[in-house]
Amino acid sequence: MIPEPVAPVPEDPPTAPTALAPKAVGRPSRRWANLMPLLVLSITGLYFVAPLLTLFRYSLQNVPAFLLGRDTLFKNWSFEAFRTFFGEDQFWSALTLSFKLAVGTAVLTLALLIPTTVWVHLKLPKARTMVEFFTVLPYMIPPIALVAGIKLIQPHVRWFLNSNYSLIPFYVVMALPFTFRSIDAGIRALDVRTLVDASRSLGCGWTQTLWRVLLPNLRTAIISASFLTMAVVFGEFTLASLLIKRTLPLFQREYTSREPQAGYALNLMVLLATTLLFVLLGVLTKKRDRKHRTFAHRAATMAPITEPT
Amino acid sequence: MTTLDYISIRKTFGPTVALESFDLDVKEGELITLLGPSGCGKTTALRITAGFEFADSGALLVGGADITRTPAHRRNMGMVFQSYSLFPNLTVANNVDFGLRTRKQDKITRHHRVAEMLELVELTPYADRYPHQLSGGQQQRVALARALAVQPQVLLLDEPLSALDAKVRTSLRDEIRRIQTEVGITTLFVTHDQEEALAISDRVCVMSAGRVEQLGTPTEVYRRPSTAFVARFVGTMNEFRAEVGMGGEVTVGGLRVDVPAMSARAAGSAVNLLVRPEDVHLQEDGLPGTVASVIFQGSTTLVGIRLDVFDQLVSVDVGQGRADDLAVGDRVHIGVVGANAVCEDAA
Repeated sequence: MIPEPVAPVPEDPPTAPTALAPKAVGRPSRRWANLMPLLVLSITGLYFVAPLLTLFRYSLQNVPAFLLGRDTLFKNWSFEAFRTFFGEDQFWSALTLSFKLAVGTAVLTLALLIPTTVWVHLKLPKARTMVEFFTVLPYMIPPIALVAGIKLIQPHVRWFLNSNYSLIPFYVVMALPFTFRSIDAGIRALDVRTLVDASRSLGCGWTQTLWRVLLPNLRTAIISASFLTMAVVFGEFTLASLLIKRTLPLFQREYTSREPQAGYALNLMVLLATTLLFVLLGVLTKKRDRKHRTFAHRAATMAPITEPT
Repeated sequence: MTTLDYISIRKTFGPTVALESFDLDVKEGELITLLGPSGCGKTTALRITAGFEFADSGALLVGGADITRTPAHRRNMGMVFQSYSLFPNLTVANNVDFGLRTRKQDKITRHHRVAEMLELVELTPYADRYPHQLSGGQQQRVALARALAVQPQVLLLDEPLSALDAKVRTSLRDEIRRIQTEVGITTLFVTHDQEEALAISDRVCVMSAGRVEQLGTPTEVYRRPSTAFVARFVGTMNEFRAEVGMGGEVTVGGLRVDVPAMSARAAGSAVNLLVRPEDVHLQEDGLPGTVASVIFQGSTTLVGIRLDVFDQLVSVDVGQGRADDLAVGDRVHIGVVGANAVCEDAA
């Protein structure tokens, strides 16, 4: 019997090295995958940094843009623009007012927001979503709508609006979307109900509980909320302009139109100060255990207790 | 040391009745456990004791004094919570010191009291650590030291062991009992874990739907449950369909069982007979069945037997020696001891 011809078994193709396997199935190469985030970051970084660099150059170098070249790149750099606006009396008064408004706004915000948010968490947890919605409203409604409202009531409360500090309540409202979230996140991270119960069972009333338990444990949230409030106050223009208050943003606009180079130097400085503020925020909110005298050390400094006879 | 008396306490949350005619008296230095399923009102009773909630009606007396409407911070209670509740910004020593500082005690007295408490819970070397540097068991011991430091009239423990793993839970449970006995403080312990309740308590108060179902020693509650609810909730129960005979005895599938605790019922009425696994045993002339499972539990072995007569699975607690001879599929016969059985009318 003649055996049927058997088809030759094809030899296995040479096995590719394992490292090259992904290429064979058509996936993007690992190198590109690694480069993509770097590329995106570089483009985004350039988008942010380029205007800042031009602002920096314009503020510090006295060379017109059309004369810029290799020969002029390192010529005529000076801090004259900074000296100019530092010499302005109005700059200092505007800065002081803005700073006072920022501190006032932060204090009022915290005084109103911390007890309210704690109360909502403890007694009305279902109302939290509604409160959160209300705090977003200032972000959704443009400041000009608030201005229109103020215009309406202005004749009746002129006595109040005449004061520089009349801006504080409005700034509290405008900062709410940021400050509420910060405080709320801090409280949610705490298990506030148990801490409050523990404190009360140990003899603390509500005020002591707030002072001794909640505030120290909300330190990070309080610092964040305060800095965000400051950022809002130092950047707000519309309301201050309407109520004719000489705050820093108003001075910046007026000064930039009067002294362009010094004005842009001022803008650069405000930008750097704000950045520094947020770097400081990062440093201050970093969790760390405070240094203290050890229990054993305290024991050593105390006289032994004597039993009553 | 002091007594704690609940007199007809009622508490509602909207339409939900959390406590109804809640009566309980806790003796001096006694540890009573409130045991029950979720929503039975045990935590509400504890929170009313602490002053975090107020009763709608009824009275709460501590050492004979009415504290029903006294706010939490004016009651002298020490409380340990389920979620550790230590103040994260304070060290162990400062946590223990917190209540003493609130009471404005002088520095030296405070320091010595803190040292004494840390020694009691064996955490002196950890005095300068922060809560996040401690294990769960250690944090609960600090919470216990903090609660005891202020020398409270009553110690309240709200499921303090439920967040811990099994091994730590057992050791801390024993430690709580040791400290409670050593200090001699009147204690109310809330748990849904029956094993924990039976192991730690002087008396157990089993609760259901805001009411006390049974109050008794762990042995009484386990061996002589007063209601079918207690019988089912505490420990494991076998449930047999049975019939009341002419002489007042109960028959289970033709097998006669004497139930001394059964109230008078008409002959022929259908009942459910609840019997513990240890009251069911293997015997030659009992109800026939087939071994369905053999579960080794260390000191004991639970054998699951499917009865021919009811097509029902019954748990039988057999000794080690007998269990070795049994295998799944073996034919066996069981007998029932009714001395501790509970009878309820069949639906």
